[in-house]
Amino acid sequence: MRMTTHDLRRNVFWVAVGLILFNALPATAVPAFSRKYQTSCQTCHVIFPKLNPFGEAFRLNGYRMPAETAEQVKQQPVSLGAEAYKRMWPGMVYPSDLPSNVPFALNTKMENIYSSSQDDTGHQVVHNDFQFPQEVNLFSAGTLGQTFGFFGELTWEERPDGGSDTEIEHARLDVTSAFGPEHLVNFRIGKLAPNLYDGFQEMWLMTDNGIDTLFTFNPIGFRGGTGLAEEGGGVSLPARARSIEMYGVAAHRLFYTVGVDSPIGPGGPNGTFGANSQKDLYARIDYKIGGMGLDGDTGGVKLPPENWREKSLRIGILGYTGNGKDVNFDITDDDGNAFKMQDRRYNRYGVFGSWYFGDLNVFGVALHGTDRLQLLDDQTLVQISETTRSYDVWFAQADYVIRPPFQASVRYENLRVADATVPSIRALNANFSLLIRANIKAMLEYHRDLRNSQNYTLATVLRFAL
Amino acid sequence: MKRFLCGVLFALATVPLLAGGIHGRVACAGQSDNGGAVVYVAKVPGKTFPPPKDHATMDQSNRVFLPHVLPVLVGTTVDFTNADPYLHNVFSPEACADKFNLGTYPKGEKRSHTFRKECFAPVLCIVHPEMEAFLAVLPTPYFGVTKPDGSYDVRDVPDGSYTVKVWHPKLKGSEKSVAVHGATEADFQIAR
Repeated sequence: MRMTTHDLRRNVFWVAVGLILFNALPATAVPAFSRKYQTSCQTCHVIFPKLNPFGEAFRLNGYRMPAETAEQVKQQPVSLGAEAYKRMWPGMVYPSDLPSNVPFALNTKMENIYSSSQDDTGHQVVHNDFQFPQEVNLFSAGTLGQTFGFFGELTWEERPDGGSDTEIEHARLDVTSAFGPEHLVNFRIGKLAPNLYDGFQEMWLMTDNGIDTLFTFNPIGFRGGTGLAEEGGGVSLPARARSIEMYGVAAHRLFYTVGVDSPIGPGGPNGTFGANSQKDLYARIDYKIGGMGLDGDTGGVKLPPENWREKSLRIGILGYTGNGKDVNFDITDDDGNAFKMQDRRYNRYGVFGSWYFGDLNVFGVALHGTDRLQLLDDQTLVQISETTRSYDVWFAQADYVIRPPFQASVRYENLRVADATVPSIRALNANFSLLIRANIKAMLEYHRDLRNSQNYTLATVLRFAL
Repeated sequence: MKRFLCGVLFALATVPLLAGGIHGRVACAGQSDNGGAVVYVAKVPGKTFPPPKDHATMDQSNRVFLPHVLPVLVGTTVDFTNADPYLHNVFSPEACADKFNLGTYPKGEKRSHTFRKECFAPVLCIVHPEMEAFLAVLPTPYFGVTKPDGSYDVRDVPDGSYTVKVWHPKLKGSEKSVAVHGATEADFQIAR
């Protein structure tokens, strides 16, 4: 069953009703950093949450303005000790401060999803759900004195069955410019989105659908991974990790990060606790040519007055490695015989590029993954065999600012799975975003499985932040 | 005769306006306002200044030192009073201020310290670590503190050429030569 003209009209009607209702809400409230600096969301975002070059510099600077001065901070913090105490350390507690207002922000997402999929019997299954709300995020972020900062996100999500999930998606402490030249050595510790994805994470958040092919591919399978992970499967890369990370910017344009984190399976893309005694390692390095420096430096470059525009190219390489020793996954062969499998060495190597040309931003990642898979007896856990499987995934996305309130986005994803008997996963994602106000946006998004014309979703989304 | 008397009265009335002094503005880059900068004459050749008999006063009220910046002449005794209904302490970690510590004392009590050396000393309260003030102990009695708009007024400076300096608790200081003839204007800019 396809969506009829009648259904489409009905959806458009309800979306229009929704927009009218929410458009009537006052848009005076703005999130934590807007309050602290008394500035608009547009200072850092193209259309939230996608960051513009200044916003990226603000983020990398530990959520401080580049070359911040006291006059830029409109909400004066509460002093926890006078400056003079610095010289008296360790005889006295080192001075710090904290935000004068509780730095909370709320992001609410309403979504109407019209989804079509083909079930195992070949029949098309269609749902049309008002998921009002679909997700509510409570953010807390700010600085603690001149060196420390914090970022937290508590997400409440409503499941299609009416239940709900609550998760701490981020909880981390930042140490900014810990020592050495400014911007060069920073640390983050906690549950966080690794800077391994710096520069493209906020960009994909621009769309309603995440890049599942990159983050939720399950490499576990009798002949290697066959598709995206269900609950408890192994994953390609962790979207979030429990990590200790060092990162920095050198000479305004060279970015690096190295980190150590808990293993990537089987807790899903958001990481897990203590799957084994191992730790994963990751690293990334890249360079930005043209445009604003990654630390906000504008020396020697002529930037257009529109803060979402620039002409720049950022390219980098990234890697991730780990050992899934003692983490057992249940699998079966073609005859239904049960086995255990361990991913004894997973390696991921990738390249990243982001090209800004005025209103256009094209970016993408190509990732090659290998997994040394040990097949074990289901009962005795004696090793039966060991094979190394590989997969490749890449995506390319183009975002275009039509006018400041309007942006269009198209993304293509391709995943060659490890099991050679299974065809590649190919997906198309098209998005149109409308910024109704600086902190209210609507999106119309179409996602299509290019292998099967009956697998698609059409989502209308309303988000507001305060 | 009336004209003569009027002339004398006018002359007397305008004497304070025409008295020597330095005034102007200090722009403090990057600060929320331009207040708290000390402008002072660094030296008057061939002249020394005995310490004043009168004490200066710095109060503690609502967990704030008042004033936030207090300039005094070398040798001045400063009385630190406590107007709050709870205990306060006054001390300075600065060696040039003898690292004085006046102890902890209740409302209504005052304790004093004499500042015998040129110094820019933070004044702290160990009971309330967020409290901070500054003593500027200066070589001449010719000084002033900027208001939030940056304006200052150093009064009664004799005519002559002087080095005038600016000090700020958070910014790098500045100095310039100023030839004082009556009311003389001098502006400064300071930054981090």
